[in-house]
Amino acid sequence: MVMKIFRIAKILMALTFLLSSQVLAKDINFEATVNSNKVGLGQSLELDLTFDGSQNMPVPELSVIEGFQVRYLGPSTRMSIINGQATSSVTYVYTLLPVKVGVFKIGPFRFEHNGNTYNSNTINIEVLEEAAQAQNSSSQEGLPQAKDLKERIFLKLQLEKDKVYLNEVIPITIKLFVNKLGVRDIQFPRFNHDGFSVGEFGMPRQYQEVIGGINYEVIEFQSTIFGLKPGEFRLGPAAIQCNLITRKQANRQRPAPFDDFFNSDVFDNFFGGYQAYPLNLKSADIPVMVLLLPLENKPEGFSGALGVFDFQASVSPLEVKVGDPLTLKAVVTGQGNFNTVNLPGSSLGDDFKVYEPQVKQDKDAKTFDQVLIPLNASVKEIPAMNFNFFNPQTGVYAAITRGPFPVKVIKPDKAEELKITESKQPAPALTKEEKLGRDIIYIKDNPGQLRKKGEYLYKHKIFLWLQVIPLLFYLLMVILHARRRKLAADVKYARQLLAPRRAKAGILRARELLKKGSAGEFYDVLFGVLQEYLGNKFHLPSKGITISIIDEQLKHKSIPEEILVNLRNIFSECDMVRYAASQLTKENMQNSLERLEEIIDYLQRNRV
Amino acid sequence: MNKLRLVKFFAGCLVCLVIVFSLGSSFAQEAKVAEGNRLFYQGNADYKEAKFQAAIDNYLKVLNLGLESGNLYYNLGNSYFKKGELGRAVLNYERALMLIPNDSDLKSNHEYVLSLLNLGQQSFENWLGKIANKLFADVSVNFLTVLLAFIYILALLALASSLIFAQAKRSIKILFLILPVIFIILAISLNSKIVYLSKGAVVVSKEALVKFEPREEATTYFKLSEGSKVLVLDKTQNWYKVKRPDGKIGWMDKDKLGLILDLTE
Repeated sequence: MVMKIFRIAKILMALTFLLSSQVLAKDINFEATVNSNKVGLGQSLELDLTFDGSQNMPVPELSVIEGFQVRYLGPSTRMSIINGQATSSVTYVYTLLPVKVGVFKIGPFRFEHNGNTYNSNTINIEVLEEAAQAQNSSSQEGLPQAKDLKERIFLKLQLEKDKVYLNEVIPITIKLFVNKLGVRDIQFPRFNHDGFSVGEFGMPRQYQEVIGGINYEVIEFQSTIFGLKPGEFRLGPAAIQCNLITRKQANRQRPAPFDDFFNSDVFDNFFGGYQAYPLNLKSADIPVMVLLLPLENKPEGFSGALGVFDFQASVSPLEVKVGDPLTLKAVVTGQGNFNTVNLPGSSLGDDFKVYEPQVKQDKDAKTFDQVLIPLNASVKEIPAMNFNFFNPQTGVYAAITRGPFPVKVIKPDKAEELKITESKQPAPALTKEEKLGRDIIYIKDNPGQLRKKGEYLYKHKIFLWLQVIPLLFYLLMVILHARRRKLAADVKYARQLLAPRRAKAGILRARELLKKGSAGEFYDVLFGVLQEYLGNKFHLPSKGITISIIDEQLKHKSIPEEILVNLRNIFSECDMVRYAASQLTKENMQNSLERLEEIIDYLQRNRV
Repeated sequence: MNKLRLVKFFAGCLVCLVIVFSLGSSFAQEAKVAEGNRLFYQGNADYKEAKFQAAIDNYLKVLNLGLESGNLYYNLGNSYFKKGELGRAVLNYERALMLIPNDSDLKSNHEYVLSLLNLGQQSFENWLGKIANKLFADVSVNFLTVLLAFIYILALLALASSLIFAQAKRSIKILFLILPVIFIILAISLNSKIVYLSKGAVVVSKEALVKFEPREEATTYFKLSEGSKVLVLDKTQNWYKVKRPDGKIGWMDKDKLGLILDLTE
């Protein structure tokens, strides 16, 4: 039992030692280690910065290390107690990703904490090409490879041309080039496109491309853009987030009995021999000029259609009665910005009742179905339709005309005159037909409360100012509460606060006795008031107050001599009354009372 | 003593002046309201005789007096509807909804006109604003303001009580959990109503082209149909910079819009 207590005490002592931050700087050893001095491009290695002797060191901020990208992984702490001697350390673990081939010296790392400077050792690391070759397929064997990570994996933003017309749709391509590296979790690209409207990216295309003799795996994202306003803009840079799959180096610093067996590639691969290193790739940006459409030769009725289009139109049925609907179908096909395509114009005049067209837009076609109702039998044809558009490839305006479309309109029977029959295709007008029988509810009989226009409560100044009152009330409550707590907790403060109030009550009583002329009682009360006031004022027992105690209290407080003399006189008069009360006249009593008031007034005003 | 008398005299004069002015303005306001009532009833008489333009003119005269009411906007909306100006009908129903949002006749007519215009619910808020607005859809701006002030006072009273009644702290703590949530939801709803009230507008023409720039010859960005709601973000002499519920922004001719809070009408 005693041994057990002794052991627990030893552990507690060791823990106390560990937790205390009084470790001397000279006892702390700062060391940098890596798990391998050779690493292939496309592999990563682990850098450990260890502080032996303390666990209370903050994370060192690593500056740029030449030839590597650095990522902080996290801390690892260690504590051991051997024969009652406790040692502790903290290791900050980083991943280093080599970015080019060569030999690099990293460190010494310099770290300052609490005015102490710690310097680590230096490490030489050789970055090789071979490892990357080993992890890739044999199909690429014999081909050259890039010696820099920036040449191994990069992003390109491509645009078909750098001068486009306003609203002209052009394809945009973002290509991710990868040479002999494992990449996964590739996100859809993002890019700055101020001044442009961008479509959505479809599924990416994957293929191989050789640039400068180097074979790249290419992941291509395609979309379309069009300019929203004229001017010079910069498109991009495009950015993609992905994870680079790097192979971990075997940790040679932790040898184990079955090291050779468990460090084999098979176990590495199976138990996470590879790790994901997040990469943010950025392309260069490209200049684009958005041009206004030329004003010369701009056809009348041009509504902004931009692209290379064809246009077809048809009418059905070709024979109708007056009041029966005809459907005019216009189809614009081709390549371009269909958002700019409107229903081709035609002059239908007053012979038709015209409904809003129904529009259907596909990727490469836009269809307009317009319902027309001939209003008289004189209609022989539907006038020609003109479709004007601007061809950005040729830079000129083009026009396509279809029609006129001959139709036969028959006069209806008298009973059927001007009855609008239902069209086979739904038209907006039919919606109204379905709602027959419904109408708005009748007007209100009285005006309700007519009030000043736009006068809402949230703008009403008096209402807004009234909101301050509850806040002031709350602040008052806080102050009163704080004062009450102080009075309860601080007796000295409470007595000082009480002193003048109590004195005032005593003086009133003394004044009554003065009127009666009873000197004995008067001076008893006066003496009591003086004692109580001074006792409360200087936080002393009131009954024990004498002139010598008060002299002692006031001697350092630079009180005018006149006040002190008055005070002494009152004390002596109060003493005198006990032996010779008859010698003190009413006048003396009046003087004593006035002097007492003067003294209290002075002490209160000057906050003695 | 003389000074005190002088101060008392001036204070008395000031109080008298304030009373005279407030009585004067109160009488003037009462006279306006009487005239407004007369014009309103005249408008109703015209409406009953199917003289819709005359009814509109009389209702507008009430507005020109600087007066408004939910019923006035409702009747004005009905008159425009009967005249076939559905955009203006929507505009006045929207104005009425700010004052009498729980009026079932108003809600029915508003919904009906929107269905005729093939317009659904148009909302400018995010999901939180939509939830808050749904909760307080039938509450007017003024009532919401009073409710918010009440919650604010309640919160301050709860705080003050926690100082005085130390033993009641637990129940007050529960109140502290609930009050901020109610306060935030109320504040969001009130804010969105105020934004719509001060910036909201409705398209009153059959169709309005919204352009990239405030120029007649500028490229058309999108179209707005009659009765569509927008927020007015900026103004020039003849153009309004507007925002559609889907976030698209462009410039349109100011004559094609009617503002929800139009003090010039």
